[in-house]
Amino acid sequence: MSSIELKQLEFNFGTKDWGLENINLSIANQESFVMVGPSGGGKTVLLKLMAGLYHPLSGQLFIEGQDFHQLKLKQQQALMFKMGMLFQKNALFDSLTVLENVTFPMAEVTSLSAKEIKEKALHFLEEVDLMHALDNYPDEISGGMQKRLGIARALALEPKIIFFDDPTAGLDPITSRKIVELMLQLKKETSATTVTITNDMNRAFQLADRIAVLVDQELIITGDKEKTLNHSDPRVHQFVRGLMEGPLTGWDS
Amino acid sequence: MGVVPYLGLKYLEFLEFLRFFLEVLKTMFTPPFRKKEFVEQLYFVMNKSLFIVVFCVSFAAVVTIIESSFHMKIVIKNDSLVPGFAALLILRELGAVVTSLLLTSRVGAGYAAETGSMKITEQLEALQMLGINKINFIVVPRFLACMVAGLVLTIIANAACLFFALIVTEAKLGYGLGAFLSSMRAFVSYQDFIFSAVKGTVFGSVIPLISCFYGFKCKSGAEGVGQTTTKTVVTTTIVIIGLDFFLSWFFSYFY
Repeated sequence: MSSIELKQLEFNFGTKDWGLENINLSIANQESFVMVGPSGGGKTVLLKLMAGLYHPLSGQLFIEGQDFHQLKLKQQQALMFKMGMLFQKNALFDSLTVLENVTFPMAEVTSLSAKEIKEKALHFLEEVDLMHALDNYPDEISGGMQKRLGIARALALEPKIIFFDDPTAGLDPITSRKIVELMLQLKKETSATTVTITNDMNRAFQLADRIAVLVDQELIITGDKEKTLNHSDPRVHQFVRGLMEGPLTGWDS
Repeated sequence: MGVVPYLGLKYLEFLEFLRFFLEVLKTMFTPPFRKKEFVEQLYFVMNKSLFIVVFCVSFAAVVTIIESSFHMKIVIKNDSLVPGFAALLILRELGAVVTSLLLTSRVGAGYAAETGSMKITEQLEALQMLGINKINFIVVPRFLACMVAGLVLTIIANAACLFFALIVTEAKLGYGLGAFLSSMRAFVSYQDFIFSAVKGTVFGSVIPLISCFYGFKCKSGAEGVGQTTTKTVVTTTIVIIGLDFFLSWFFSYFY
Protein backbone atom coordinates (compact mmCIF):
# COMPACT_ATOMS: atom_id res chain seq x y z
CA MET A 1 0.00 0.00 0.00
CA SER A 2 1.22 3.48 -0.87
CA SER A 3 1.78 5.97 1.85
CA ILE A 4 0.50 8.83 -0.30
CA GLU A 5 -1.26 8.59 -3.63
CA LEU A 6 -2.54 11.38 -5.86
CA LYS A 7 -4.94 10.56 -8.67
CA GLN A 8 -5.84 13.02 -11.42
CA LEU A 9 -5.41 15.90 -9.00
CA GLU A 10 -6.40 19.35 -10.19
CA PHE A 11 -6.00 22.61 -8.29
CA ASN A 12 -5.92 26.37 -8.81
CA PHE A 13 -6.51 29.49 -6.77
CA GLY A 14 -9.62 30.52 -8.67
CA THR A 15 -7.75 32.24 -11.48
CA LYS A 16 -6.88 30.96 -14.93
CA ASP A 17 -3.26 32.17 -14.75
CA TRP A 18 -1.92 29.20 -12.87
CA GLY A 19 -3.04 25.74 -11.85
CA LEU A 20 -1.99 22.14 -11.39
CA GLU A 21 -3.67 19.59 -13.62
CA ASN A 22 -3.69 15.84 -13.91
CA ILE A 23 -1.19 15.20 -11.13
CA ASN A 24 -0.64 11.49 -10.54
CA LEU A 25 1.83 10.22 -8.00
CA SER A 26 2.35 7.31 -5.66
CA ILE A 27 4.82 7.43 -2.78
CA ALA A 28 5.66 4.14 -1.10
CA ASN A 29 5.91 3.54 2.63
CA GLN A 30 9.25 4.67 4.07
CA GLU A 31 10.26 6.18 0.75
CA SER A 32 12.23 9.40 0.65
CA PHE A 33 10.66 11.41 -2.15
CA VAL A 34 12.11 14.76 -3.23
CA MET A 35 10.47 17.36 -5.43
CA VAL A 36 12.48 20.01 -7.22
CA GLY A 37 11.52 22.62 -9.76
CA PRO A 38 11.67 26.29 -10.67
CA SER A 39 10.57 28.79 -8.01
CA GLY A 40 6.90 29.69 -8.18
CA GLY A 41 6.12 26.46 -9.99
CA GLY A 42 3.74 25.16 -7.33
CA LYS A 43 5.90 22.75 -5.31
CA THR A 44 4.67 24.09 -1.98
CA VAL A 45 1.08 24.00 -3.21
CA LEU A 46 1.50 20.39 -4.26
CA LEU A 47 3.08 19.53 -0.92
CA LYS A 48 0.17 21.11 0.91
CA LEU A 49 -2.25 19.23 -1.34
CA MET A 50 -0.47 16.00 -0.34
CA ALA A 51 -0.79 16.96 3.32
CA GLY A 52 -4.51 17.63 2.92
CA LEU A 53 -4.11 21.32 3.74
CA TYR A 54 -5.63 22.39 0.43
CA HIS A 55 -8.74 20.94 -1.12
CA PRO A 56 -8.27 19.93 -4.78
CA LEU A 57 -10.79 21.01 -7.42
CA SER A 58 -10.97 17.43 -8.60
CA GLY A 59 -9.11 14.17 -8.23
CA GLN A 60 -8.29 12.14 -5.16
CA LEU A 61 -5.74 12.13 -2.39
CA PHE A 62 -5.15 8.80 -0.68
CA ILE A 63 -3.25 8.72 2.59
CA GLU A 64 -2.49 5.23 3.85
CA GLY A 65 -5.11 3.95 1.40
CA GLN A 66 -7.89 6.24 2.62
CA ASP A 67 -9.54 8.77 0.33
CA PHE A 68 -8.71 11.81 2.49
CA HIS A 69 -11.30 14.29 1.23
CA GLN A 70 -14.12 11.76 1.50
CA LEU A 71 -13.45 11.23 5.20
CA LYS A 72 -15.27 12.97 8.03
CA LEU A 73 -13.45 15.76 9.87
CA LYS A 74 -12.59 13.52 12.85
CA GLN A 75 -11.14 10.86 10.56
CA GLN A 76 -9.18 13.49 8.66
CA GLN A 77 -7.79 14.79 11.96
CA ALA A 78 -6.80 11.28 12.95
CA LEU A 79 -4.80 11.01 9.72
CA MET A 80 -3.32 14.47 10.27
CA PHE A 81 -1.87 13.24 13.56
CA LYS A 82 0.16 10.75 11.53
CA MET A 83 1.73 13.55 9.50
CA GLY A 84 4.24 16.19 10.44
CA MET A 85 5.43 19.17 8.47
CA LEU A 86 8.36 21.51 8.48
CA PHE A 87 6.99 24.64 6.83
CA GLN A 88 8.95 26.88 4.50
CA LYS A 89 8.70 29.79 6.96
CA ASN A 90 8.92 27.36 9.90
CA ALA A 91 5.44 28.41 11.16
CA LEU A 92 6.60 28.34 14.75
CA PHE A 93 4.14 29.59 17.34
CA ASP A 94 5.75 32.88 18.22
CA SER A 95 3.95 33.31 21.53
CA LEU A 96 5.36 29.99 22.80
CA THR A 97 8.92 29.20 23.89
CA VAL A 98 11.12 26.64 22.17
CA LEU A 99 10.07 23.97 24.68
CA GLU A 100 6.39 24.92 24.50
CA ASN A 101 6.43 24.75 20.69
CA VAL A 102 7.22 21.05 21.00
CA THR A 103 5.04 20.26 24.03
CA PHE A 104 2.01 22.08 22.59
CA PRO A 105 1.10 19.49 19.89
CA MET A 106 1.45 16.65 22.37
CA ALA A 107 -0.61 18.45 25.03
CA GLU A 108 -3.32 19.12 22.43
CA VAL A 109 -3.47 15.74 20.81
CA THR A 110 -2.23 13.02 23.14
CA SER A 111 -3.42 11.90 26.55
CA LEU A 112 0.09 11.84 27.99
CA SER A 113 0.76 13.40 31.39
CA ALA A 114 2.56 16.75 31.59
CA LYS A 115 5.69 14.99 32.86
CA GLU A 116 5.72 12.48 29.99
CA ILE A 117 5.12 15.26 27.47
CA LYS A 118 8.04 17.27 28.81
CA GLU A 119 10.31 14.22 28.77
CA LYS A 120 9.44 13.47 25.15
CA ALA A 121 9.82 17.09 24.12
CA LEU A 122 13.25 17.25 25.74
CA HIS A 123 14.22 14.09 23.89
CA PHE A 124 13.27 15.62 20.51
CA LEU A 125 14.97 18.90 21.37
CA GLU A 126 18.12 17.03 22.35
CA GLU A 127 18.05 15.27 18.98
CA VAL A 128 18.02 18.64 17.20
CA ASP A 129 20.55 20.15 19.63
CA LEU A 130 18.34 22.84 21.10
CA MET A 131 18.65 22.02 24.79
CA HIS A 132 20.42 25.32 25.44
CA ALA A 133 17.53 27.42 24.12
CA LEU A 134 14.50 25.87 25.83
CA ASP A 135 13.17 29.12 27.27
CA ASN A 136 13.87 31.30 24.25
CA TYR A 137 11.12 32.48 21.94
CA PRO A 138 11.36 31.68 18.20
CA ASP A 139 12.34 35.23 17.29
CA GLU A 140 15.25 35.04 19.72
CA ILE A 141 16.97 32.14 17.95
CA SER A 142 18.81 31.91 14.63
CA GLY A 143 17.35 30.74 11.30
CA GLY A 144 19.09 27.38 11.55
CA MET A 145 17.83 26.88 15.09
CA GLN A 146 14.31 27.78 13.96
CA LYS A 147 14.55 25.10 11.25
CA ARG A 148 15.71 22.57 13.84
CA LEU A 149 12.88 23.58 16.15
CA GLY A 150 10.46 23.18 13.24
CA ILE A 151 11.81 19.66 12.72
CA ALA A 152 11.47 18.84 16.43
CA ARG A 153 7.87 20.05 16.39
CA ALA A 154 7.13 18.08 13.21
CA LEU A 155 8.44 14.98 15.00
CA ALA A 156 6.53 15.60 18.21
CA LEU A 157 3.61 13.35 17.35
CA GLU A 158 5.94 10.69 15.93
CA PRO A 159 4.44 10.92 12.46
CA LYS A 160 4.56 8.24 9.81
CA ILE A 161 4.77 10.82 7.04
CA ILE A 162 6.93 13.93 7.27
CA PHE A 163 6.82 16.82 4.81
CA PHE A 164 9.81 19.13 4.55
CA ASP A 165 9.17 22.35 2.67
CA ASP A 166 12.52 23.73 1.57
CA PRO A 167 14.35 22.77 4.79
CA THR A 168 17.64 24.39 3.80
CA ALA A 169 16.31 27.61 2.27
CA GLY A 170 18.23 30.68 3.36
CA LEU A 171 20.77 28.73 5.40
CA ASP A 172 24.53 28.84 5.02
CA PRO A 173 26.15 25.71 3.50
CA ILE A 174 27.35 24.33 6.84
CA THR A 175 24.00 24.78 8.61
CA SER A 176 22.27 23.46 5.51
CA ARG A 177 24.50 20.38 5.60
CA LYS A 178 23.76 19.88 9.30
CA ILE A 179 20.01 20.04 8.65
CA VAL A 180 20.28 17.44 5.88
CA GLU A 181 22.40 15.18 8.10
CA LEU A 182 19.78 15.54 10.81
CA MET A 183 17.00 14.66 8.36
CA LEU A 184 18.90 11.57 7.20
CA GLN A 185 19.53 10.50 10.77
CA LEU A 186 15.90 11.00 11.76
CA LYS A 187 14.74 9.19 8.65
CA LYS A 188 16.85 6.22 9.71
CA GLU A 189 15.53 6.33 13.28
CA THR A 190 11.84 6.86 12.55
CA SER A 191 11.42 4.92 9.29
CA ALA A 192 8.91 7.56 8.23
CA THR A 193 7.91 8.33 4.68
CA THR A 194 9.39 11.72 3.79
CA VAL A 195 8.46 14.19 1.08
CA THR A 196 10.92 17.03 0.66
CA ILE A 197 10.96 20.13 -1.47
CA THR A 198 14.28 21.69 -2.28
CA ASN A 199 15.98 23.63 -5.03
CA ASP A 200 19.43 22.50 -4.00
CA MET A 201 20.19 19.57 -6.31
CA ASN A 202 23.09 18.29 -4.18
CA ARG A 203 20.81 18.08 -1.14
CA ALA A 204 18.10 16.48 -3.29
CA PHE A 205 20.49 13.74 -4.46
CA GLN A 206 21.65 13.23 -0.86
CA LEU A 207 18.12 12.80 0.47
CA ALA A 208 16.15 11.15 -2.31
CA ASP A 209 15.21 7.59 -3.08
CA ARG A 210 13.26 9.12 -5.95
CA ILE A 211 13.13 12.60 -7.45
CA ALA A 212 10.39 14.45 -9.33
CA VAL A 213 10.69 17.73 -11.19
CA LEU A 214 7.71 20.07 -11.30
CA VAL A 215 7.99 22.14 -14.48
CA ASP A 216 5.28 24.00 -16.35
CA GLN A 217 2.70 22.58 -13.93
CA GLU A 218 3.72 19.09 -14.97
CA LEU A 219 5.15 16.62 -12.46
CA ILE A 220 7.89 14.61 -14.14
CA ILE A 221 9.04 11.70 -12.02
CA THR A 222 12.64 11.20 -12.94
CA GLY A 223 13.82 8.49 -10.53
CA ASP A 224 17.15 8.29 -8.74
CA LYS A 225 20.20 10.52 -9.17
CA GLU A 226 21.51 8.85 -12.32
CA LYS A 227 18.14 8.80 -14.05
CA THR A 228 17.47 12.41 -13.09
CA LEU A 229 20.81 13.63 -14.41
CA ASN A 230 20.33 11.76 -17.67
CA HIS A 231 16.64 12.44 -18.17
CA SER A 232 15.59 13.05 -21.76
CA ASP A 233 13.18 15.93 -21.11
CA PRO A 234 15.06 19.13 -22.01
CA ARG A 235 13.37 21.08 -19.18
CA VAL A 236 14.54 18.55 -16.60
CA HIS A 237 17.99 18.53 -18.18
CA GLN A 238 18.24 22.32 -17.98
CA PHE A 239 16.92 22.52 -14.42
CA VAL A 240 18.97 19.79 -12.77
CA ARG A 241 22.16 21.01 -14.42
CA GLY A 242 21.37 24.66 -13.76
CA LEU A 243 21.90 25.71 -17.36
CA MET A 244 21.21 29.27 -18.46
CA GLU A 245 20.06 28.23 -21.91
CA GLY A 246 17.08 26.00 -22.46
CA PRO A 247 13.30 25.85 -22.66
CA LEU A 248 12.77 27.08 -19.09
CA THR A 249 14.48 30.40 -19.76
CA GLY A 250 13.15 30.78 -23.29
CA TRP A 251 16.71 30.78 -24.68
CA ASP A 252 16.27 27.59 -26.60
CA SER A 253 19.30 27.19 -28.77
CA MET B 1 -14.00 48.24 -10.73
CA GLY B 2 -17.59 49.15 -11.55
CA VAL B 3 -20.30 49.58 -8.92
CA VAL B 4 -22.16 46.38 -9.80
CA PRO B 5 -19.13 44.03 -9.65
CA TYR B 6 -18.03 45.75 -6.43
CA LEU B 7 -21.44 45.21 -4.83
CA GLY B 8 -21.42 41.63 -6.11
CA LEU B 9 -18.07 41.00 -4.44
CA LYS B 10 -19.28 42.59 -1.20
CA TYR B 11 -22.39 40.40 -1.31
CA LEU B 12 -20.25 37.27 -1.76
CA GLU B 13 -18.01 38.40 1.09
CA PHE B 14 -21.09 38.88 3.26
CA LEU B 15 -22.28 35.35 2.48
CA GLU B 16 -18.81 34.06 3.30
CA PHE B 17 -18.92 35.95 6.60
CA LEU B 18 -22.33 34.46 7.43
CA ARG B 19 -20.95 30.96 6.82
CA PHE B 20 -17.99 31.79 9.04
CA PHE B 21 -20.33 33.09 11.76
CA LEU B 22 -22.45 29.93 11.63
CA GLU B 23 -19.30 27.81 11.89
CA VAL B 24 -18.23 29.80 14.96
CA LEU B 25 -21.65 29.24 16.56
CA LYS B 26 -21.47 25.53 15.80
CA THR B 27 -17.91 25.19 17.06
CA MET B 28 -18.80 27.07 20.25
CA PHE B 29 -20.77 24.04 21.41
CA THR B 30 -18.21 21.49 20.25
CA PRO B 31 -15.42 20.24 22.55
CA PRO B 32 -12.67 20.89 23.45
CA PHE B 33 -13.82 23.89 25.49
CA ARG B 34 -10.81 26.13 25.94
CA LYS B 35 -11.21 27.67 29.39
CA LYS B 36 -7.56 28.69 29.68
CA GLU B 37 -7.57 30.58 26.37
CA PHE B 38 -10.93 32.15 27.26
CA VAL B 39 -9.61 33.44 30.58
CA GLU B 40 -6.42 34.73 28.92
CA GLN B 41 -8.45 36.58 26.32
CA LEU B 42 -10.86 37.94 28.90
CA TYR B 43 -7.90 39.29 30.85
CA PHE B 44 -6.42 40.81 27.70
CA VAL B 45 -9.67 42.47 26.64
CA MET B 46 -10.99 43.51 30.05
CA ASN B 47 -8.03 44.39 32.14
CA LYS B 48 -6.05 46.19 29.49
CA SER B 49 -9.04 48.08 28.07
CA LEU B 50 -10.67 49.09 31.34
CA PHE B 51 -8.67 52.25 31.98
CA ILE B 52 -8.96 53.50 28.39
CA VAL B 53 -12.70 52.86 28.32
CA VAL B 54 -13.39 54.53 31.67
CA PHE B 55 -11.14 57.47 30.80
CA CYS B 56 -12.72 58.10 27.38
CA VAL B 57 -16.37 57.57 28.25
CA SER B 58 -16.05 59.73 31.37
CA PHE B 59 -14.74 62.62 29.33
CA ALA B 60 -17.46 62.03 26.75
CA ALA B 61 -20.05 62.24 29.56
CA VAL B 62 -18.53 65.44 30.91
CA VAL B 63 -18.54 67.04 27.44
CA THR B 64 -22.15 65.92 26.92
CA ILE B 65 -23.24 67.64 30.15
CA ILE B 66 -21.36 70.86 29.41
CA GLU B 67 -22.51 71.08 25.79
CA SER B 68 -26.13 70.21 26.60
CA SER B 69 -26.23 72.80 29.36
CA PHE B 70 -24.72 75.46 27.12
CA HIS B 71 -27.23 74.91 24.33
CA MET B 72 -30.27 74.41 26.56
CA LYS B 73 -29.52 77.65 28.32
CA ILE B 74 -29.47 79.44 24.96
CA VAL B 75 -32.61 77.82 23.61
CA ILE B 76 -34.92 77.27 26.58
CA LYS B 77 -33.08 79.39 29.16
CA ASN B 78 -33.00 76.48 31.57
CA ASP B 79 -30.71 73.49 32.02
CA SER B 80 -32.64 71.53 34.66
CA LEU B 81 -33.36 68.79 32.13
CA VAL B 82 -29.67 68.23 31.42
CA PRO B 83 -29.00 65.50 34.05
CA GLY B 84 -31.90 63.37 32.89
CA PHE B 85 -31.20 63.98 29.22
CA ALA B 86 -27.50 63.18 29.67
CA ALA B 87 -28.26 60.01 31.65
CA LEU B 88 -30.57 58.85 28.86
CA LEU B 89 -27.94 59.56 26.22
CA ILE B 90 -25.28 57.79 28.26
CA LEU B 91 -27.35 54.66 28.77
CA ARG B 92 -28.84 54.45 25.29
CA GLU B 93 -25.79 55.39 23.25
CA LEU B 94 -22.57 56.60 24.82
CA GLY B 95 -21.75 53.73 27.15
CA ALA B 96 -22.18 50.87 24.67
CA VAL B 97 -21.14 52.59 21.44
CA VAL B 98 -18.06 54.43 22.68
CA THR B 99 -16.91 51.35 24.61
CA SER B 100 -17.23 49.09 21.58
CA LEU B 101 -15.57 51.59 19.25
CA LEU B 102 -12.65 51.80 21.67
CA LEU B 103 -12.51 48.00 21.81
CA THR B 104 -12.53 47.93 18.02
CA SER B 105 -9.43 50.07 17.75
CA ARG B 106 -7.60 48.37 20.58
CA VAL B 107 -8.71 44.74 20.53
CA GLY B 108 -10.08 44.35 16.99
CA ALA B 109 -6.99 45.82 15.34
CA GLY B 110 -4.80 43.62 17.54
CA TYR B 111 -6.75 40.47 16.71
CA ALA B 112 -6.68 41.24 12.99
CA ALA B 113 -2.92 41.81 13.01
CA GLU B 114 -2.36 38.69 15.15
CA THR B 115 -4.46 36.33 13.05
CA GLY B 116 -3.20 37.94 9.85
CA SER B 117 0.40 37.35 10.90
CA MET B 118 -0.47 33.78 11.84
CA LYS B 119 -1.93 33.31 8.36
CA ILE B 120 1.05 34.66 6.44
CA THR B 121 3.60 32.82 8.59
CA GLU B 122 1.74 29.53 8.01
CA GLN B 123 0.91 29.15 11.72
CA LEU B 124 -2.75 28.52 10.86
CA GLU B 125 -1.71 25.67 8.59
CA ALA B 126 0.60 24.38 11.30
CA LEU B 127 -2.43 24.23 13.62
CA GLN B 128 -4.36 22.39 10.93
CA MET B 129 -1.49 19.90 10.55
CA LEU B 130 -1.77 19.23 14.27
CA GLY B 131 -5.47 18.50 13.82
CA ILE B 132 -6.41 21.65 15.74
CA ASN B 133 -9.50 23.50 14.52
CA LYS B 134 -8.47 27.15 14.11
CA ILE B 135 -11.99 28.36 14.87
CA ASN B 136 -12.09 26.37 18.07
CA PHE B 137 -8.60 27.43 19.09
CA ILE B 138 -8.52 31.05 17.96
CA VAL B 139 -11.98 32.45 17.28
CA VAL B 140 -14.26 30.91 19.91
CA PRO B 141 -12.24 31.98 23.01
CA ARG B 142 -11.92 35.51 21.60
CA PHE B 143 -15.59 35.62 20.62
CA LEU B 144 -16.77 34.58 24.08
CA ALA B 145 -14.26 36.81 25.86
CA CYS B 146 -15.26 39.87 23.83
CA MET B 147 -18.93 39.09 24.36
CA VAL B 148 -18.48 39.00 28.14
CA ALA B 149 -16.07 41.95 28.08
CA GLY B 150 -18.48 43.97 25.93
CA LEU B 151 -21.22 43.39 28.48
CA VAL B 152 -19.13 44.06 31.59
CA LEU B 153 -17.22 47.03 30.16
CA THR B 154 -20.48 48.63 29.01
CA ILE B 155 -21.92 48.30 32.51
CA ILE B 156 -18.72 49.75 34.00
CA ALA B 157 -18.64 52.50 31.35
CA ASN B 158 -22.26 53.42 32.10
CA ALA B 159 -21.52 53.56 35.82
CA ALA B 160 -18.39 55.68 35.27
CA CYS B 161 -20.25 57.96 32.87
CA LEU B 162 -23.12 58.50 35.30
CA PHE B 163 -20.69 59.09 38.15
CA PHE B 164 -18.72 61.73 36.25
CA ALA B 165 -21.95 63.22 34.91
CA LEU B 166 -23.15 63.56 38.50
CA ILE B 167 -19.90 65.23 39.60
CA VAL B 168 -19.83 67.70 36.73
CA THR B 169 -23.55 68.43 37.13
CA GLU B 170 -22.98 69.30 40.75
CA ALA B 171 -19.76 71.21 40.17
CA LYS B 172 -20.67 73.09 37.00
CA LEU B 173 -24.48 73.29 36.93
CA GLY B 174 -25.13 73.30 40.65
CA TYR B 175 -27.60 70.40 40.79
CA GLY B 176 -27.13 67.98 43.68
CA LEU B 177 -27.48 64.23 43.84
CA GLY B 178 -31.22 64.41 44.58
CA ALA B 179 -31.91 66.67 41.59
CA PHE B 180 -29.76 64.49 39.36
CA LEU B 181 -31.56 61.30 40.37
CA SER B 182 -35.04 62.75 40.11
CA SER B 183 -34.25 64.18 36.66
CA MET B 184 -32.78 60.84 35.67
CA ARG B 185 -35.87 58.99 36.93
CA ALA B 186 -38.07 61.17 34.73
CA PHE B 187 -36.13 60.23 31.59
CA VAL B 188 -34.64 56.81 32.17
CA SER B 189 -36.49 53.52 32.53
CA TYR B 190 -35.18 50.12 33.63
CA GLN B 191 -35.25 48.91 30.01
CA ASP B 192 -32.49 51.36 29.18
CA PHE B 193 -30.09 49.50 31.47
CA ILE B 194 -31.02 46.17 29.93
CA PHE B 195 -30.87 47.38 26.33
CA SER B 196 -27.53 49.05 26.94
CA ALA B 197 -26.14 45.75 28.25
CA VAL B 198 -27.55 43.90 25.22
CA LYS B 199 -25.95 46.43 22.88
CA GLY B 200 -22.59 46.07 24.65
CA THR B 201 -22.76 42.28 24.33
CA VAL B 202 -23.71 42.34 20.64
CA PHE B 203 -21.12 44.97 19.72
CA GLY B 204 -18.46 43.12 21.70
CA SER B 205 -19.17 39.87 19.88
CA VAL B 206 -18.93 41.52 16.46
CA ILE B 207 -15.32 42.67 17.02
CA PRO B 208 -13.51 39.29 17.09
CA LEU B 209 -15.76 37.87 14.37
CA ILE B 210 -14.82 40.56 11.85
CA SER B 211 -11.17 40.76 12.89
CA CYS B 212 -10.62 36.98 12.70
CA PHE B 213 -12.61 36.73 9.45
CA TYR B 214 -10.34 39.27 7.77
CA GLY B 215 -7.25 37.95 9.56
CA PHE B 216 -7.83 34.49 8.10
CA LYS B 217 -8.02 36.04 4.64
CA CYS B 218 -4.89 38.17 5.10
CA LYS B 219 -2.63 38.54 2.08
CA SER B 220 1.09 38.03 2.48
CA GLY B 221 3.53 40.72 3.48
CA ALA B 222 3.51 43.67 5.84
CA GLU B 223 1.17 45.47 3.46
CA GLY B 224 -1.31 42.60 3.69
CA VAL B 225 -1.38 42.77 7.49
CA GLY B 226 -1.76 46.56 7.35
CA GLN B 227 -4.65 46.32 4.90
CA THR B 228 -6.32 43.64 6.99
CA THR B 229 -6.09 45.75 10.14
CA THR B 230 -7.45 48.85 8.42
CA LYS B 231 -10.26 46.90 6.78
CA THR B 232 -11.15 45.33 10.13
CA VAL B 233 -11.33 48.63 12.01
CA VAL B 234 -13.32 50.38 9.27
CA THR B 235 -15.75 47.49 8.74
CA THR B 236 -16.28 46.87 12.46
CA THR B 237 -16.91 50.56 13.08
CA ILE B 238 -19.49 50.70 10.28
CA VAL B 239 -21.14 47.47 11.44
CA ILE B 240 -21.35 48.70 15.05
CA ILE B 241 -22.90 52.01 13.97
CA GLY B 242 -25.33 50.14 11.70
CA LEU B 243 -26.22 47.61 14.39
CA ASP B 244 -26.71 50.45 16.86
CA PHE B 245 -29.31 51.94 14.53
CA PHE B 246 -31.16 48.65 14.04
CA LEU B 247 -31.06 47.71 17.73
CA SER B 248 -32.24 51.18 18.79
CA TRP B 249 -35.10 50.93 16.32
CA PHE B 250 -35.97 47.43 17.50
CA PHE B 251 -35.81 48.41 21.19
CA SER B 252 -38.06 51.41 20.57
CA TYR B 253 -40.98 48.96 20.32
CA PHE B 254 -40.44 47.88 23.93
CA TYR B 255 -40.76 51.26 25.65
